[in-house]
Amino acid sequence: MNEQVKQALIAKLTALADDELILAHRDSEWVGHGPILEEDIALANIAQDELGHATLWYGLRSTLDGSDPDRLAFLRDAAEFHNCELVELPKGDWAFTLLRQYLFDAYEALWLSAAKDSTYKPLAEVAAKILREERFHLQHTQAWVERLGLGTEESNRRMQAALDAQWGYAQQLFVPLEGEGVLVAEGIVPDLGGLKQTWLLHTTQHLQNSGLKLPLQPGYQPTSRQMHTEHLWSLLAEMQSTARWDAEAKVW
Amino acid sequence: MPGKFGKPTDPDYGERLAEFEARIARGEKIEPGDWMPEEYRRQLVRMISQHAHSEVVGMLPEGAWITRAPSLKRKMILIAKVQDEAGHGQYLYHAAETLGVTREEMLEALLSGKAKYSSIFNYPTLTWADIGTIGWLVDGAAIKNQTMLAQCSYGPYSRAMVRICAEETFHHKQGKEMVILYAKGTPKQRAMAQDAINRWWWPALMMLGPHDSDSPNTPTLVRWGIKTKTNDQVRQEFINEHAPEILEAGLTLPDPDLRYDEATGNWLHGPINWDEFWAVVGGNGPMNKERLEARRRAHAEGAWVREALAAYAARRQQTAVAV
Amino acid sequence: MDTQWPRWEVFKQDTPSKPHQAVGSVHAADPFHALLTARNVFARRPQAVSMWVAPASAILSVTKEELAEGRELKPSTFDLKPSTYYVFRKTSHKRSMTFVDYVGELEAPSPEDALKLAIERFTDAPALAWWVVPASSVTKSEDSPETVESWFAPAKDKTYKQQSYYGLVGAHAGKHKRTQGDDDE
Repeated sequence: MNEQVKQALIAKLTALADDELILAHRDSEWVGHGPILEEDIALANIAQDELGHATLWYGLRSTLDGSDPDRLAFLRDAAEFHNCELVELPKGDWAFTLLRQYLFDAYEALWLSAAKDSTYKPLAEVAAKILREERFHLQHTQAWVERLGLGTEESNRRMQAALDAQWGYAQQLFVPLEGEGVLVAEGIVPDLGGLKQTWLLHTTQHLQNSGLKLPLQPGYQPTSRQMHTEHLWSLLAEMQSTARWDAEAKVW
Repeated sequence: MPGKFGKPTDPDYGERLAEFEARIARGEKIEPGDWMPEEYRRQLVRMISQHAHSEVVGMLPEGAWITRAPSLKRKMILIAKVQDEAGHGQYLYHAAETLGVTREEMLEALLSGKAKYSSIFNYPTLTWADIGTIGWLVDGAAIKNQTMLAQCSYGPYSRAMVRICAEETFHHKQGKEMVILYAKGTPKQRAMAQDAINRWWWPALMMLGPHDSDSPNTPTLVRWGIKTKTNDQVRQEFINEHAPEILEAGLTLPDPDLRYDEATGNWLHGPINWDEFWAVVGGNGPMNKERLEARRRAHAEGAWVREALAAYAARRQQTAVAV
Repeated sequence: MDTQWPRWEVFKQDTPSKPHQAVGSVHAADPFHALLTARNVFARRPQAVSMWVAPASAILSVTKEELAEGRELKPSTFDLKPSTYYVFRKTSHKRSMTFVDYVGELEAPSPEDALKLAIERFTDAPALAWWVVPASSVTKSEDSPETVESWFAPAKDKTYKQQSYYGLVGAHAGKHKRTQGDDDE
């Protein structure tokens, strides 16, 4: 692998891992506060799975540059995080959290399905492993979107509000990183442009069948992973507070 | 299917009670549908629902640290652990439901402040080391009780406890591993671990319940195979296991009277501050109000979700019938 | 009035050679939601290859003691068409985390008739308790390899839920011999 490809792959793996980590963090904020015991358990499963995926992606990066996944997660500054903005948004209500999880799962399942054929074997293996869990996530979150969309007037209103707020942000999932083209050319990662059409088709159909309307104006659509919302700094300040509290600590 | 609950005023009560106690003595499990004294049912509903509430409220002090766990591994473990507590609450509510009480009723009792839950969860978690210490001491104490209750004569409670015990051992071990690691860590980690042990030791002893002399239910519970040991017996087992391990880790315990007694092989402890225990049980612990408030908020904010799915299900069923 | 949703009994199969066993219940709104929930609650750890759920209200449950006391099993008074019932049975007082095991299915015009038939048919072990569940009320996870891989296999990799993961502290391993990965018994 030449240096240019390697650097591009490191950047991509970091972005993948950061997405999963921050999403897992937001999901985990529900633990102990869910609408019913069973759903508290269900969302905690998803949070663990996403956190596990983050660990796998950081781990893969580590094989390329020797970086320490825990240092990346707990001692890196906000400006160096490359997650998309969608996952940073505060957890909101149950509709907001489940809709975001659905939009993300639909994207992730598609991406992984393609990435499991990557020419870079270690990435193909990780993608295949993660895909198993994502299939269940997608069934779970699809079911929730349908039930809340078609449930009561209130649940429909809340879902619609979540969709109006998130639709523009979700488009960022399909904006390639600078330099990602070289990875696509090498067959290491799938082309996001192609996946986006399938994602739009699936999600649009499911959202509409669930009694929801796609926003006419998608609103703000982030285009660069160098940019973040105002929420990331405080999210990380909290997440990293223990790890940063003792500069001497080598092990936690 | 709720069974037949016998009252002392029933004409055949004496005879049935003798059969019932003989079944328990033979090691048989009492199952939903079987005859049982109303008092057996009442004690079980009280114990199981309290136990379930404790798991659910117990999610809060630890859950608060999920967002601040210092490594990917610790974050993962803590989510899984707090999730297990939800699961354990879930299993226990199920066991109580087999006695004819609904989860709606049990939650109403918890949220209205009528029902009790374990006093230990009304203490605050002040530092990250509290998470390890809760695993080691609080879960360590809980496992002592749970191992005993896995033998319980009531089938559904026993089965829930067997499942819980199998899951809970990791809770204890991850906590112990963490505290021992910090005890050998940096000065700040070490101080944090010691401080946590100092704060949780006494509450952990108290959570095993009042002294036998102040525990009027115990003899009946033992005779009916609900409990097989008294509070003081379980507490002694807990101390005998944990005191030497904590000392061995290079930490100290906040009890100047603590000493090993050669004659009995027991670690003897100083007087427990029962005034503090009864204050916390009575609602005046440091966190009673906040814990209950957090439960009420989650319940209230989840109401629209529960209604939405119920409405969806009702509509689907109507459509199915119409077709 | 609050709703915690109806209760569904959950039957988990640990391996293809074992019967489905009653592991507990979940509160859920509709059949598919109940199945998803059962997976979320009862497949957090291995083992599982299949799950069934049935509304608790659809289950006829009778203990040995009730039968001995002559609990009447009313035969159907109407001329009903036979339908399929799943029969579950408990045979031991041994320490266990599961209740009744699946023993087989049969055709009968009513749950009571099904139970009478079951008592005649499943005689290989003494029954301590019976459950009779209308097959039409049962929702099952798919048997496709893809579903098994997606719903049940990933739990095997979550080793941090097992006490053996915390190797350095072994003092109490012997006292709690069961580990997270154990089959339900």
